[in-house]
Amino acid sequence: MKKFILHTATIILTFIGFYALGQTNELKGYKIEGDTVVFTFDVREYSKFTQEYTGQVVDFNDLDIENVVVSGEFNLWSRDNWEMKKTGNHTYQLRKNINDFTDEFSWEFKYVINNAYWAEPSRKDPNIAKATKNGMRMHGVYNLKMYTAYPSENGNASFKLKGFKNAKRVILAGSFNKWDEHLFKMNKTEYGWELTLQMKPDIYQYRYIVDGQWMEDPNNPYKTRNEFDEFNSVINIKEYTTFKLRGYTNAQKVVLAGSFNNWDEHELVMRKMDYGWKYVIPLSGGKHHYKFIVDGKWIVDPNNSVKEYDGDGHINSVCMVK
Amino acid sequence: MLRHLTLIFFLLLCFKSAFVFGDTNPPIHFSNAEILNPYTTRIPFKLVDHLIVVKAEIFDKEGNFIIDTGSETMILNKVHFSNVYEHQKKNASASGIMHSVEDSYEKHIKEFVLQNFKLENKNSDIIDLSHIEKSKKMKLLGIIGYNILKDYEIFIDMHLNQMTLSKVDKAGEKLNKHVYLERIVDSVDFKLINHSIVVNGQINNQNVRLGIDSAAEFNQINKSVPKAVLKYFIPKKRMRLSGINNGKVEVLAGKLHRVKLSKKIYFGPMLTVLTNLNRMNEAFGTNLDGILGYEFFAQKRTIINYQKEKLFFIDYPLNHQ
Repeated sequence: MKKFILHTATIILTFIGFYALGQTNELKGYKIEGDTVVFTFDVREYSKFTQEYTGQVVDFNDLDIENVVVSGEFNLWSRDNWEMKKTGNHTYQLRKNINDFTDEFSWEFKYVINNAYWAEPSRKDPNIAKATKNGMRMHGVYNLKMYTAYPSENGNASFKLKGFKNAKRVILAGSFNKWDEHLFKMNKTEYGWELTLQMKPDIYQYRYIVDGQWMEDPNNPYKTRNEFDEFNSVINIKEYTTFKLRGYTNAQKVVLAGSFNNWDEHELVMRKMDYGWKYVIPLSGGKHHYKFIVDGKWIVDPNNSVKEYDGDGHINSVCMVK
Repeated sequence: MLRHLTLIFFLLLCFKSAFVFGDTNPPIHFSNAEILNPYTTRIPFKLVDHLIVVKAEIFDKEGNFIIDTGSETMILNKVHFSNVYEHQKKNASASGIMHSVEDSYEKHIKEFVLQNFKLENKNSDIIDLSHIEKSKKMKLLGIIGYNILKDYEIFIDMHLNQMTLSKVDKAGEKLNKHVYLERIVDSVDFKLINHSIVVNGQINNQNVRLGIDSAAEFNQINKSVPKAVLKYFIPKKRMRLSGINNGKVEVLAGKLHRVKLSKKIYFGPMLTVLTNLNRMNEAFGTNLDGILGYEFFAQKRTIINYQKEKLFFIDYPLNHQ
């Protein structure tokens, strides 16, 4: 039957722009802190604003800002739903839980002033995409792009490529950014190239593009064959997950066992806290079964309603890392 | 008699063990299906934007399939299955909303391996789905639709990102009862009209007929619904949608408020587009006022039982840790 697969959300803009502002290394317009997406708008970073219907271009000195709104594919380009909070003379912020966005996304978005003026990103901003109207690219008009994976010095995944010192440009592309061939430029170091990303826990595939040549990561033994009969490198991003068992404070020993450690009955001895017992362990993205062993007796997590049978008919507690 | 049972039990055990120990080689495990018993399997899915996508294997090819309760048959992507059975060209072509999908021909699937769970003897249509591959940047082998799903009770769980398939008998009873441990908190009847799941609901206290479609990335509401219903559709934006046949149409998008399926089953505001469903209603002999897709499943952990014509719901857990 039907099947409307949403394809392109288009913005109705009709202007050819001119650009200003220098190159910034950080991704423009947002950052991700833990499980929060923080949209940040600094009016000084934009030199051009386009009136939605007339196409009139104004300077920011001409604009009395009453409100700023985040508008993008994630909220169907709503001009008034995601209003930002003023945090300074020129700055605005909006915090959204990362779970409000679906997996594997790359979203396009923009900022709207007074529900009518689009703040135009510059061609030189690192995370831009050409805006489209009726499926056609609009010359000189850009949207900002957001990914769950983004470069960060304190990120959880370091990509290193040794050698290739004569290369002019090395790009990291992968399933975390829909294999974008331009976005994640690697930095030159003493021994080669490097880039650190912050990513959601999951298993990702990636490759390097060295001056236009695609290649797998030669130092990563984990790889999988791709549709071009070559290899994609594979990386497993884990997340620190806390298990807590409340009560049982009179117990001598409590052990955490689960699918993540092959149900080892001795390995993960939980730490006694004033409320009960605790253990923190890095886990891969996805579903994990677990149980507690309290003085030799297996129990499910009494505070977790999510339980499943395993293949042998046993009942386990379930935790989801995403 | 007892001996027979023991033998059967033993055979089942072997059968299951073979599944469990079949594939444990690669250093990194891609999330595999879990076989609970010969009748039940859990298959992890990924959300690619708003599409539910599982890994499956067919004709020695492994790749992604979209789970689509709105599709009547299984669809194979012509890009990957181009050379097969031209002569079986189908006369009645599969229909989309906008116009019929051209060039679909039927192929008989002898064996379809869904994460070690074998499904046999199904028909499929072969259609070019390259535009979905392009826009979603993934290798798409096809679409799993009603003719595969109907033999199972299906639990689409957006909390654990998995689909549980349980074989059922003609009355819709699961062949093995030990499937769910979480409490079913609610249920609602639906009518199966052709292959479409249709529920009676209410918007602003007006009765509406809504289709449930797991592959609709956005909910849809028909232009010709009563004004009292449209009052709770708050439009925000024009946008373009492309369908399975790569046709494009411009629609009005916004939020739909106050959708209820019963006194207890109601929904928060849902992203919805205003479309014309009349052609689709004509093609499928339905009379739908709207279609509930991704947002429906995102708000409700839903079990579909085609034989009982019933949807069951399980609550999302409160944050426990």
